[in-house]
Amino acid sequence: MDTRTQEFLEYVQDGGQVETGDWMPDEYRSKLVKFIEMHANSELMGVLPERDWILRAPTLQRKLALTAKIQDEVGHAQLIYRVVADLGKPRNACLDDLVSGRAKFHNVFHYPTKTWGDVGVIAWLVDAAAIVSQKALLKCSYAPYARIMKKICWEESFHILHGRDVILALVTGTQEQFELVQEALDRWWEPLMHFHGNQIPPDEDPMFVWRIKSQANEDARQQFLDGYVPQIRELGLEIPDSALRKDEESGRWLYTEPDWEKLRAVVTGHGPASQERLDFRRLSREQVAWVEQVVLAEAA
Amino acid sequence: MSDRSDLLLAIADDELFLGWRNSEWTGIAPFLEEDVAFSSIAQNEIGHARALYELAARELDTTADELAFDRDADEYRCAPLVQLRRLEWARTIARHWLYETADEIRLAILKASDDSEIAGIASKIDREEAYHRMHAEMWVERLLATGEGRARFNDAVDELWPYALGVLDDALRPELRERVEERLGRKLPDAEPVPRGRHETELRQLWEEMTMVRRSAPTGARW
Repeated sequence: MDTRTQEFLEYVQDGGQVETGDWMPDEYRSKLVKFIEMHANSELMGVLPERDWILRAPTLQRKLALTAKIQDEVGHAQLIYRVVADLGKPRNACLDDLVSGRAKFHNVFHYPTKTWGDVGVIAWLVDAAAIVSQKALLKCSYAPYARIMKKICWEESFHILHGRDVILALVTGTQEQFELVQEALDRWWEPLMHFHGNQIPPDEDPMFVWRIKSQANEDARQQFLDGYVPQIRELGLEIPDSALRKDEESGRWLYTEPDWEKLRAVVTGHGPASQERLDFRRLSREQVAWVEQVVLAEAA
Repeated sequence: MSDRSDLLLAIADDELFLGWRNSEWTGIAPFLEEDVAFSSIAQNEIGHARALYELAARELDTTADELAFDRDADEYRCAPLVQLRRLEWARTIARHWLYETADEIRLAILKASDDSEIAGIASKIDREEAYHRMHAEMWVERLLATGEGRARFNDAVDELWPYALGVLDDALRPELRERVEERLGRKLPDAEPVPRGRHETELRQLWEEMTMVRRSAPTGARW
């Protein structure tokens, strides 16, 4: 590593932040693009599991809340792609890579949504898991990304309230409604445990080394479990992992080791809904491609 | 049912169904900016529907949700224009623009109503619709500016024109024709309006889907 890069590394490791126009090592820039692009892709792909339920939302209030929530996610994608564009990769290049399967998006968006219970669990627990990671990004060494995370975290915290409200209505409703939530939790627990990634030591995680992330994967998962396991149990729901318990001595949560190979397969496009989602996005993009041509021709 | 509730339900159903149709673009619009815009418009339309249903619900001794979800598919009063499933982009813009143009004419009459509740709600709705009209007009301008956009848009307007006429009563249709022809700078074909009350096959399919969660629990369940 040359001196300049070494100094840069020490600077970010000391909590220093970088702006768009500042010098940065190529490796740092490419890691930033990879990380932030995946975040933007995830916001955008995250729309697809929920969008079908806008039509099926069971009251006007739920319909409005869900539409607004999904709109927020698209808005986040828009903001985050802009950060990626400033780093040198335009939005359309990101979208090309996304639909061709070259770029990744978060594991939870590779799964189908089967019932209204899933909609509640996604808004409550998937967004809760996401906010743990996103709050840690408030300290990201790349300042423009850290700044937009403020708005994103603020909006995500509303989604959690909306999700919790959907869940509360169901668990206090009929037996069938309660079961919708339990079944959804059974389906989503494994993806939730995968969400923060494997237990890689932070010093071996390049995203941590460059202080793009400020938190180790396992610390994020522990924080999620700490915040939400008691809440889930309080509602009378059962978490489908008999080994899950808090070790009083260490204060850490113990759980059945998730299948990390499965996570790898899911995020490389082999999840239960990966191809269907990508096909849908590809097809939609092809169908509206003429619009961009017309608009560009008009602007020229 | 009184003429008043009948009128309120007709407009509320239009707004509800159009809100549904507009939110079909969520996640897949040609630009992320349009995704966000159509989502806002959809939320406004659903909000208008809710306000109108609430007014009707008082008279009919029911609730807005029951009016929105618990009627049979055949009982909805929406115009066929808003029943059509997600249309490709040129038709989406044509529907958006034709509906907003017709709605402006309808709202102007309601704003002048002697019924202060109806006049009040119409003014409130119109304040938001003004932004929808600006959005629609921006797209009309964009599409008309190029050969391909113009061809696609004109075809879409011609195809949807009989449906657009069906949004309004007989008496208001000439005004709609005048406004649309003036903006397009051409005559529109004579067309038999597709009247309110006619149900496209898409309506039944949409109803099945929009009520499936709600129907899965006994009436009165909380959601």
